[in-house]
Amino acid sequence: MGLGYAVGVVGFLILAHAAYSTIQYRSLLKITEEEFTGPPITVVVELIAGLFFCLWAALTVPGKFLSILPQSDENRVVALPSNLDFMIFNHRGKVFPMGIDMKQM
Amino acid sequence: MVSKTEEDQLIRLENQVENGGGGAWEYLCLVRKLKLRLSDKVFKYGFALLSDPKKRSALGPEEWTLYEQVAIAAMDCQHLDVAKEYIKVLQGKFRESKRVGRLEAILLEAKGRWAEAEKAYSSLLEDNQFDQVIHKRRVAMAKAQGNLSGAIEWLNKYLEIFMADHDAWRELAEIYVSLQMYKQAAFCYEELLLSHPTIPLYHLSYADVLYTLGGVENLHAAKKYYAATIDLTGGKNNRALFGICLCASALAQLTRGRNKDDKENSELQSLSAEALEKAYKQQSPTNVSVLSSALRSLKVSS
Repeated sequence: MGLGYAVGVVGFLILAHAAYSTIQYRSLLKITEEEFTGPPITVVVELIAGLFFCLWAALTVPGKFLSILPQSDENRVVALPSNLDFMIFNHRGKVFPMGIDMKQM
Repeated sequence: MVSKTEEDQLIRLENQVENGGGGAWEYLCLVRKLKLRLSDKVFKYGFALLSDPKKRSALGPEEWTLYEQVAIAAMDCQHLDVAKEYIKVLQGKFRESKRVGRLEAILLEAKGRWAEAEKAYSSLLEDNQFDQVIHKRRVAMAKAQGNLSGAIEWLNKYLEIFMADHDAWRELAEIYVSLQMYKQAAFCYEELLLSHPTIPLYHLSYADVLYTLGGVENLHAAKKYYAATIDLTGGKNNRALFGICLCASALAQLTRGRNKDDKENSELQSLSAEALEKAYKQQSPTNVSVLSSALRSLKVSS
């Protein structure tokens, strides 16, 4: 998980650097009075790289994803809780011999 | 509702504790959370935990819930003296507590002293008229005495006030089924399905009741609910698969001679038969021949 965090931080720094470069580029264009059509190609490549780094970090850092489908193999309902509020004690268990742990008493 | 992961966790913890690997407290917590009735295991491990003063003090304030849980398990295993001892301990700590008073009344019930238990419940109800658990204990007492119609009466009165209690609806449905009053049981299951439509086991029980009632419309409806169960459990519920095969063959028997619009009927039946054979091959290969002969006889009689 440390690696995921590090990659995330690196991705964020790359994006911040790309933003700073774009702002510098725009101010440069203002000096030379040209139109700002878009950031230079290097900044676009940097943006895509930053995007992938951040995506990878976002998927690895939180850990194992849980399944959400109710019919998936982990989530399917196997049994209902036994109705403990209506439990009666008048059952055939009364005639069974006492458990072995009475020796501990 | 116990999901498959929780069941696996429970089995793993049980094996761990059984083989002396510790973790009894987590096991007991899981049983309490899932509301399962495993009284002999709970009693065995809880008793061992509580008799050891070192482990008991390690629990801290949780030991009182454990006392309550093991007391009820002891009553279920008929170790009434142990239960009485634990209730006395709880009484010493929490005087004038409704919860402990309820436990005492349950102990009277377990001993079979119905009249005294009834008196105790009425006095507890005087303090708080809308205590759900006490109403339910009264129903359980009527059931234990064999007075099923009285239990139905109490339960109906309870459900008029607390209509959203799905456990009570389930209990009422089971009592009706045991008395073979299937139409009323179907009504109770419909209420359950309205409030919890995503639990496949309710669909399964409703389909069972519809199949028992019989008749063409009921069989069609039963087939739909079995299919819903299969959908909600990802095809792993063998009982629903069997249900589809049986419904299809019963329908074919009833509508024999009428126009054959049962293309999807036989397709559904063959699909579920296939799924059943696959499941049996995986889980109990010795019974595959029994299964195939049974399925063949179903198709032949249709």
